[in-house]
Amino acid sequence: MPLIPQVGRKKIKLRLLLGAIIGILWLGIILHLFPVYWMAITSIKPYHELMKMPPTWFVHKPTPYVWRLIFSPFRVPGLTTGNWILVPLKNSLILTLGIMVIQVPATAFVAYALSKLESPQWERIMFLFFIGTMLLPFQIALIPRYLLLQCFPFASRVPPMIPFTNSRFPRINLLDTYWAVILPSAYSAFSVLLFKGHFDSIPDELINAARLDGAGEFSIFGKIVLPISRPVIAVVSYFSFSGAWNQFMWPLIVFKDPNLYPLPVTLYNIQNMYLATGYASELAEQAQEISSLEQPMGWNLIMVASIIQAIPIFIMFIIFREELMRGIKLRGFK
Amino acid sequence: MQIPRGWEATRPHPLCNSEEKMAKEPPKQRAKYVKRIKWVFYAPGFSLNLVFGWYPLILGLIVGFQAYYLIRPSEFVGFTNFQDIFYDSLTPIVFRNTLYYTALQIGLVFFVPIIISILLMEMKKSTIRIMMILWFIPIAQMAGIIIWKWFYSVDYGLFNGILTTLGFPTSQWLNSARIAMLCLVLPGLIMFGPGLIYIATLQNIPQELYEAAELEGTSLWQKIWHITLPRLRPIIAMMMLLSIIGNMQVFTQPYVMTGGGPGSATYTIIMQVYTLSFTNLQFGKGGALALILFLLIMVLIIIQRKYFKENIDV
Repeated sequence: MPLIPQVGRKKIKLRLLLGAIIGILWLGIILHLFPVYWMAITSIKPYHELMKMPPTWFVHKPTPYVWRLIFSPFRVPGLTTGNWILVPLKNSLILTLGIMVIQVPATAFVAYALSKLESPQWERIMFLFFIGTMLLPFQIALIPRYLLLQCFPFASRVPPMIPFTNSRFPRINLLDTYWAVILPSAYSAFSVLLFKGHFDSIPDELINAARLDGAGEFSIFGKIVLPISRPVIAVVSYFSFSGAWNQFMWPLIVFKDPNLYPLPVTLYNIQNMYLATGYASELAEQAQEISSLEQPMGWNLIMVASIIQAIPIFIMFIIFREELMRGIKLRGFK
Repeated sequence: MQIPRGWEATRPHPLCNSEEKMAKEPPKQRAKYVKRIKWVFYAPGFSLNLVFGWYPLILGLIVGFQAYYLIRPSEFVGFTNFQDIFYDSLTPIVFRNTLYYTALQIGLVFFVPIIISILLMEMKKSTIRIMMILWFIPIAQMAGIIIWKWFYSVDYGLFNGILTTLGFPTSQWLNSARIAMLCLVLPGLIMFGPGLIYIATLQNIPQELYEAAELEGTSLWQKIWHITLPRLRPIIAMMMLLSIIGNMQVFTQPYVMTGGGPGSATYTIIMQVYTLSFTNLQFGKGGALALILFLLIMVLIIIQRKYFKENIDV
């Protein structure tokens, strides 16, 4: 409570101010959480209630029939051949966990080496090498990265000729594999910054004392640094998870096969098809056949998918809340 | 523990308190070992950043000067792509839209999490935790965008519903070229703020500073201006930089909510790059546009660095 003085709290003016602040904060919280509430009630509204204008604030007759479609053979035309929502959920989990599993250790190593092992004259250059890709607008690499994945490791549409022969270099096409999304996101400069902010705050004496005892750098890292780094590992894991989970543009570009689409792309596609009138009735008919309910389907389907997309990131936040609440130490670029 | 060779002589006597000096000057052998082992630490991040970070970034500088073919290798074509971009009637529109979007984001949305974080610090210890959790609960980006699209819906949307109930004329929202861009920015006000980043710095400001200021009879605004903000400055500077870089490259929000419409009122540079390269397969032209965007962002970064220093000047 730094701004408002402790002593004069009973003064009417300060009381009003404090009341106003509390009011603003609670109003903000309500506004922040309202979309979640709206998703939930929209997913169970019956059709005639969905199409009511003005919309109803509560559900009068909850009909959760769309939720039953999750485990049914229902499929969205033009999308997955398997289950319409579980397959994208699986894809999203594979991509996100793949990115996390590589990113968290790799960036921790880099940040530790930058913070504790680098010699002073190289420190600045190495720091710029590892952070620079974040400071430069990355979309300039959009096309080369696509070409690189298409024709790994040459970044052109056709690999060059092997000198003095008539054949071309062998290449790997990584497009339409999970690697196309995992590899480019596996390194994150932001995670390095987060880790480095923490490692810089560990006193050098602690590490040098261990060195005097003859401990190798890896055992110092594993036995001394890691145990006191749990909070920052949690924070980096959370950020890497949410970054990967929300990826939309890159999967949209590199995946042509709908069976590989992660949730955001699927969600976008379902929503797009629903708004294109031809599909809407087709989807609705199919849903009626499966759930044998005599009502057309509105935005329920999209909302169910939205909620399924929102839940994992929500769970991650709850798991790591303690560490996140303590705050995130960042030191800027200097 | 086994003492490596070369250490016996320099190891301090338990009674001799020269450990600090030791820490500052490790023996040469150790230095050599550290020099080698650090590359083992660097290796995974270094190779990933090199192959998928710097390599495409540098290639990005030349893609714009090339023409790409399906079966032949690409070849250099000089400034042809840039000429095409220059004479394209969409180019000024996408640049204007992108700059407008970034200005709205920085002007309206960027400061909200900062204000919220400062206000949150005023709460009692018991309420601050629950309030922070509720404020910073994340909502998945695509889900958030889509629910707002449904809010904006002209025929069945929530906003028009509220307007009708209150007896106001309904609005076109995303279908109106005039306010569509503003509608794209509004969700950011309550949805995707990175407030947690500021909390740590705020928590670390020493309480005594405020108490001292109080004794001098400083007003509320002066306390924020002279004590809180200078200490947040490095983080604000960094977040603003990242925000400018990120918003100039905006794609998802307009792509999902409006598809660039109505007309081309929300059509952004990266959407155009996307269409040119991945729909029309004109990689050279897309690369040229991306390069122009790159230069524009670099100019903005230089301006921002010049006028928004990271140093604390109290």
